[in-house]
Amino acid sequence: MKKIVSVTVNGVLHELAIEPRRTLLELLREDLGLTGTKKGCGIGDCGTCTVLLDGVATFSCLTLAIQADGCSVETVEGLAEDGKLNRLQQAFVDHGAIQCGFCSPGMLMTATELLRRSDNPNEQDIRRAISGNLCRCTGYQKIVEAIKAASEDTS
Amino acid sequence: MILPRFDVLVPETVDEACTMLSDHADEGVRLLAGGTDLLVDLRRPIIPQHVPRCDGCTTHPEGRVLSTIECAPSDSDPLMASGGSIRTALEGPRHAAPAFLVSLHKLDQLRGIERLADGGLRIGALTSISEIERSPDVREGWTALAEGADSLGSPLVRNRGTLGGNIANARPAADMAVPTIALGGTLTLKGSSGTCDIPAKDFPRGPGLSVIKQDEILTDIHYPSPVPYSGSAYYKLANRKALEISTVGVAVWLALKEPGGPVADVQVALGAVGPVPILAESVREALIGKVPNEKTLLQAAQAARGDARPIDDHRGSAWYRVQMVEQLTLRLLRTVLKRIRDSK
Ligand SMILES: Cc1cc2nc3c(=O)[nH]c(=O)nc-3n(C[C@H](O)[C@H](O)[C@H](O)COP(=O)(O)OP(=O)(O)OC[C@H]3O[C@@H](n4cnc5c(N)ncnc54)[C@H](O)[C@@H]3O)c2cc1C
Ligand code: FES
Ligand code: FES
Repeated sequence: MKKIVSVTVNGVLHELAIEPRRTLLELLREDLGLTGTKKGCGIGDCGTCTVLLDGVATFSCLTLAIQADGCSVETVEGLAEDGKLNRLQQAFVDHGAIQCGFCSPGMLMTATELLRRSDNPNEQDIRRAISGNLCRCTGYQKIVEAIKAASEDTS
Repeated sequence: MILPRFDVLVPETVDEACTMLSDHADEGVRLLAGGTDLLVDLRRPIIPQHVPRCDGCTTHPEGRVLSTIECAPSDSDPLMASGGSIRTALEGPRHAAPAFLVSLHKLDQLRGIERLADGGLRIGALTSISEIERSPDVREGWTALAEGADSLGSPLVRNRGTLGGNIANARPAADMAVPTIALGGTLTLKGSSGTCDIPAKDFPRGPGLSVIKQDEILTDIHYPSPVPYSGSAYYKLANRKALEISTVGVAVWLALKEPGGPVADVQVALGAVGPVPILAESVREALIGKVPNEKTLLQAAQAARGDARPIDDHRGSAWYRVQMVEQLTLRLLRTVLKRIRDSK
């Protein structure tokens, strides 16, 4: 039997009837059409499904939609400000931190949490923070540089 | 790879959760905390290494038996009354999915880290590993637990995974359970018929098996107050720094009678070298009452090695694991002694 779940996604409140076994990832991608959030492994290993759940970086593939009831969710679609890439997104573009782009939505959300929690992370902090987000293209160096640059750019 | 069909129940109180557990016992019901163990187990096995986490796998009759693990005898558990071996199926069909999950996410009363008046620490079962990792109280007084949290999974796993889930899941390599045992932690289990406290070391009975009863919930974990001249440390030996299960994990807690003086008490817990985390009793015999020096520390480390009962698997051979138990115990004893000296 379906259950009613209400979640605020990128500032918009949604009320949906959803099967209990469905994940937050499925709610976002299939019910709301927010396909920015990707599905990789489905078992917590790759981090490409990362969203912010009440501000906490969370893998949406191992979170049931019901567990997000009453919560606020931020996805990669919510990062842009006034139709323009935000500071962190722009830094990813400028530093070549995106190749195929499959890891980018999760990487950006994890980095968003890090930058909210600490204004001046060093390289080690950044590497540790993204250690649950796998990237098979960039070798991580450019991602680390982009996050560092975004943390320093206070304009 | 969608999850099997189940219904999700959302209790508002712990009592209500216990009632749900007993009401649906026949249809199959499981508690859901962070879901980082349970939801992985409920997905179809795509990567074999994820299969053994399901406790149903340890007893499923049709599962293919790939290894046999020796288990300690237990009075309280008929399954292991005689000791002997449990069959562990690492591959094969699995138990039917539970019809119900009881999700604890609304039970905020099970979250939080609290310093007690007696100097001890109480951590709610639903507290995330990240919160423990970031707690200055935990790092100062119960360092081994903070280091367990540092080493668990990845930041995403730590944000979602809970202390209660790590302990209740009863895996031999669990990075929070091993320090909890060394630190003399006590678990509070609440069921329909009342509450009981048991030492963390007596909780696990085999891979994925524990003394918890059908209608019981782990509510809190209590850590005793640090005594003078004491300290602790945990080290996880693994192939990677993140997203890896330990090959060997060692937690050491040690207290001296006086600075530089003889050892008043010591507890060494070993992870991933037996069917459950092992409290190395022989280390106590080898070290209590002795003045710590390179000779006595080495004897203690060799005693720890003797208590390990590892198997060969893809993470390491039994031979390698016992060598590492000795080396890591020796190193951690030195680390803890240095921490005690430095904290004066
Ligand atoms: C990618 C990945 C990496 C991981 N790496 C590690 C690692 O390095 N080290 C490690 O130790 N673990 C690791 N884990 C396993 C897991 O993250 C931890 O064991 C975690 O602490 C489990 O907590 P949870 O809240 O998610 O448990 P859940 O999955 O919600 O529950 C686990 C089990 O415990 C039961 N349970 C949960 N809470 C309670 C309670 N309060 N009372 C009674 N029973 C309860 C559930 O019914 C279930 O059987 C990893 C998992 C993933 C997905
Ligand atoms: S898809 Fe969620 S962690 Fe890989
Ligand atoms: S850019 Fe391709 S996986 Fe990271």
